[in-house]
Amino acid sequence: MNNSSRTRTFGGLSGFATVSIIFLFMTQITHALSLESLQADLPKQVDRWSAQTGDRIYDEKTIFSYIDGAAEVYKAYNMKQCLSRRYTISGGPEIILDIFDMGSSEDAYGIFTHDIDGTKVGIGQEDRLRPGWLSFWKDRFFVSIYMEEESGAAEQAVLELGRQVAGKISGKGTRPAIISQLPSAGLQNDTVRYLHHPVVLNYHYYLADENILNISADTDVALAQYQLGNQTARMLLVKYPTPEEAMRSQADFLNYYIPDADKKGAALLENGQWAAVSRKGHLLAVVLEADSRELAEHLLQNVH
Amino acid sequence: MTGKKRVITRRDFIRTGSWAVMGSLMGLPLAHRAGGQTAQKSRVVLIRNQNATEGHGALNPGTVVQMLDDALTVALGAEDPVSAWRKIANPGDTVGIKSNVWFRLPTPPELEKAITARLVEAGVAPQNISVDDRGVKSNPVFKRSTVLINIRPMRTHHWSGLGSLLKNYIMFVPQPWIYHGNACERLGAIWQKPQVAGKTRLNILVMLTPLFHGVGPHHFSRGYTWPYGGLIVSTDPVSADAIGARIIQAKRNQYFGEDRPISPRPLHIEAADIKFGLGNSHPDRIELIKLGWHENILI
Repeated sequence: MNNSSRTRTFGGLSGFATVSIIFLFMTQITHALSLESLQADLPKQVDRWSAQTGDRIYDEKTIFSYIDGAAEVYKAYNMKQCLSRRYTISGGPEIILDIFDMGSSEDAYGIFTHDIDGTKVGIGQEDRLRPGWLSFWKDRFFVSIYMEEESGAAEQAVLELGRQVAGKISGKGTRPAIISQLPSAGLQNDTVRYLHHPVVLNYHYYLADENILNISADTDVALAQYQLGNQTARMLLVKYPTPEEAMRSQADFLNYYIPDADKKGAALLENGQWAAVSRKGHLLAVVLEADSRELAEHLLQNVH
Repeated sequence: MTGKKRVITRRDFIRTGSWAVMGSLMGLPLAHRAGGQTAQKSRVVLIRNQNATEGHGALNPGTVVQMLDDALTVALGAEDPVSAWRKIANPGDTVGIKSNVWFRLPTPPELEKAITARLVEAGVAPQNISVDDRGVKSNPVFKRSTVLINIRPMRTHHWSGLGSLLKNYIMFVPQPWIYHGNACERLGAIWQKPQVAGKTRLNILVMLTPLFHGVGPHHFSRGYTWPYGGLIVSTDPVSADAIGARIIQAKRNQYFGEDRPISPRPLHIEAADIKFGLGNSHPDRIELIKLGWHENILI
């Protein structure tokens, strides 16, 4: 169907556009209602901390006024909305609950993997607790609970609040499919990150001042570390919308990063480690640094 | 990516061995400097006092203001603070003091007041002085300003790597997000806009309790600040930021016990030097003068 036929069919608006607008409208309403229904069900009291009136809901534009500096990261993961609620106690630190509706469980997982330091406490689908901050993801939500100042009592309240919020989110999300394509043997599960923005990649692993892998909102990226025996490696998988883009990115990586690569796409770096690249259809596999050539090739051969 | 554009990669740092040495910061030779850039070194004064703050807490105003006077005098090669401040502004000037209000680590009001008082002592009319951050675009004093003074605390930043002096001018443009691309690399372009170009006579990077690491949406934990008790003062914002960045990097390495590069790499500091010609970022082109407390100076 071409544009003109759609225009005729729907009297001024293309059918596709009409359906898209309706879908977008419904999607936004669905998200808003879901976050609002979650909001209505949130605890008013946690231990001795009381919820303050005046919850705020931010969208992808107004979020900049709330979390100056970090907002771009959330935008890079397609954040839809953020509900913020404060819990206070007389003479004690505030606790700030932020629930981010990321629009998809993949992006909820992705923003969770942006900060993976800390210990696991068994809240939501995956979580981390570190000084002053608990984060977890569940379904399409990423939840952050932040203490203005650290104390034992505040941490207990944060954990209790986390458990209650996780309990209110009934759904369960799936991790991005590309994660399951990482080679299994030697994968350090707690190092896996998912992203689709070049600055986020550079945040975790500085590669280049330019976007030499052509990472965009349309690409899925998994970054992970490996340990096999006493050897280590770091690997990147990038899934492109088309095989042609994957091919072009492979050429760019070879051109800008390992122009000295041999016929198998491997090069010995000046620090004694190996980098290598291979492609299969839409998927580009890059070993950024491996302790040996054998390990680099092993990883490339075992992409699922 | 197309063509044969010169691209700096991690490989370049590995090749030069500067990754480990410099923690990724300003370690490459400046092969592509902006045209017209000064060949002179930039003078930067780092002054510290262990009594500048009460640990992580309250600032000792008398100590910090004295630090500012001393640093400025040396930075400008003046005989005394009075003549130093007169080199910054004269009775005919209108001065905008670009501050930073981020509530977790703002520019200390005591310093804002002290700068204002010094400017008045130098003969600037009080009505021709204004301190502002997010309102600078519409502030009448800033709109007719002949002189800008740039002051802010240094902190790590999720998107630009560092909240720096260079980044502090992002409020002068109506659409800051335009400059967010590639880790805010093009922040230097803002300094070439008519409302700010050529007006900045003093840059003060507040290093009293800097933030060296941040996590989560609020990007702040008191545990990632430390009482460094410093001020970095220079007429060159790029040099001041470069020195501050090296201190933050050194603190990260010390705290984490490993090389933990500032992430993302603060490209805007090098770009302000190499692409926009605003100053010097490379250590070889900075004359660093250290005053005061030297313990754990990290540089």
